Amino acid sequence: MAEGQTKILNNWNGEMTEMSSFLPAVAEELLRDVKKAYQETSQIPDDLLLALKFVFGPSALQALDLVDQRSVTCLSSPSGRTVFQVVGGSGRLYACYTSCHYCPCPAFAFSVLRKNDSLLCKHILAAYLCQAMGLSQQEAVTNQQMSDILSGKAGRGT
Amino acid sequence: MADILALVLKCNCAQLRDNNDRKLTSISGQNALPCMIVGESCNIKTSLLFLTAVTAASELGVRVLFFTPTPFQSLPGLLQDSLACLNPDSLKKITFMYSRSQEELLQDVACLHESVRQAAVPPALLIVDRLDLYLGLQREEQAAAAVHLSALLIDTASFLTRNSEEPCRVIVSFDMERQGQMPWELVAPDPVLSILDRYFSVHCTLDQDRHSGAPSPPGEPGDAWQIYFSGAGNTVANSGSNQGDQILGCLWKLTIRPNGTMEFSPTSMESCVN
Ligand SMILES: [Zn+2]
Repeated sequence: MAEGQTKILNNWNGEMTEMSSFLPAVAEELLRDVKKAYQETSQIPDDLLLALKFVFGPSALQALDLVDQRSVTCLSSPSGRTVFQVVGGSGRLYACYTSCHYCPCPAFAFSVLRKNDSLLCKHILAAYLCQAMGLSQQEAVTNQQMSDILSGKAGRGT
Repeated sequence: MADILALVLKCNCAQLRDNNDRKLTSISGQNALPCMIVGESCNIKTSLLFLTAVTAASELGVRVLFFTPTPFQSLPGLLQDSLACLNPDSLKKITFMYSRSQEELLQDVACLHESVRQAAVPPALLIVDRLDLYLGLQREEQAAAAVHLSALLIDTASFLTRNSEEPCRVIVSFDMERQGQMPWELVAPDPVLSILDRYFSVHCTLDQDRHSGAPSPPGEPGDAWQIYFSGAGNTVANSGSNQGDQILGCLWKLTIRPNGTMEFSPTSMESCVN
């Protein structure tokens, strides 16, 4: 049991490292600084908050709100597949993939991918921050539930 | 991904056929990035994908999943010659998945993780023919579908890679509309292409060769195409630094021979073959 949990955490951390390689170096370094500061003082100092706002724009504060509300859960199935589930402001669940940037929210498709005017939506950033701060919940789901979440079938309520 | 496509071209190239530089080991690590074959509507892209599946299964011995919106009634005619000398066992490594709709494709890809622990060897090549047919008709809907399908394919390939000794590659084909005679006048509905660019960092563009007089009908003897590899810099899935430099920028020519088979030749030998 304990061994299984360790494995999931290892997988998950491995994936976060992989996923953060999709970010510009400055954003990656900032997340590392946040992690270090939070480990030492259990808070994010003002200069790093400003830097988060500067690098990630308005999504930074919204993402920190989501972190405060413990909105991020890392789901994992027996197959070893993982996905972040983020509870949005409206209570809707967003499944964000762990190895490449994807969030089903409209802001991700439009301001991140299409207009290219922000690096991440608030949900993906919240997943990063939760991981950096060690605040995300862990939850096990079945393989079938994982498939439904990944395909969006769970979200469509069918 | 483009290294497998490069292998396909080499295996079907007259100048290189007797060269023993045909194993992926000679090109592996060069470019395992997700690749999208684009061009105007024609069956050549499907034939090239089919040849890619066959080459990956026979030359590399990997399992291939081939997703298609329309089931194959028969083998593409262009390939029958290439297939004649194949070991039938290698064809068994290819699984055709007939995914009829966007929902079916999402579900078929999303559930691949379920069988990884049972399967002796997980698939190492995911191919989707005619990704454009899976995006729906409304513009907003197309953008959301393009993001979801692309990201799911890449996240799934990444999961399969972690569960295998072989990296799992993704190749899709996408039909574009032609608005003029030049390659850059091939268009896809905005913002779909800019979204796909972020996930599929390598493009393999097929453009019918119009320089040698009136073009033959696509797929008929005498028909000629140019194949060009290019890469977008700013991608979501860009996981390596210098991957694919030797493949990107290469120009190949595809001709349909009198017996109806596909023949490839590099336009600039040094840069494409080494
Ligand atoms: Zn989002």
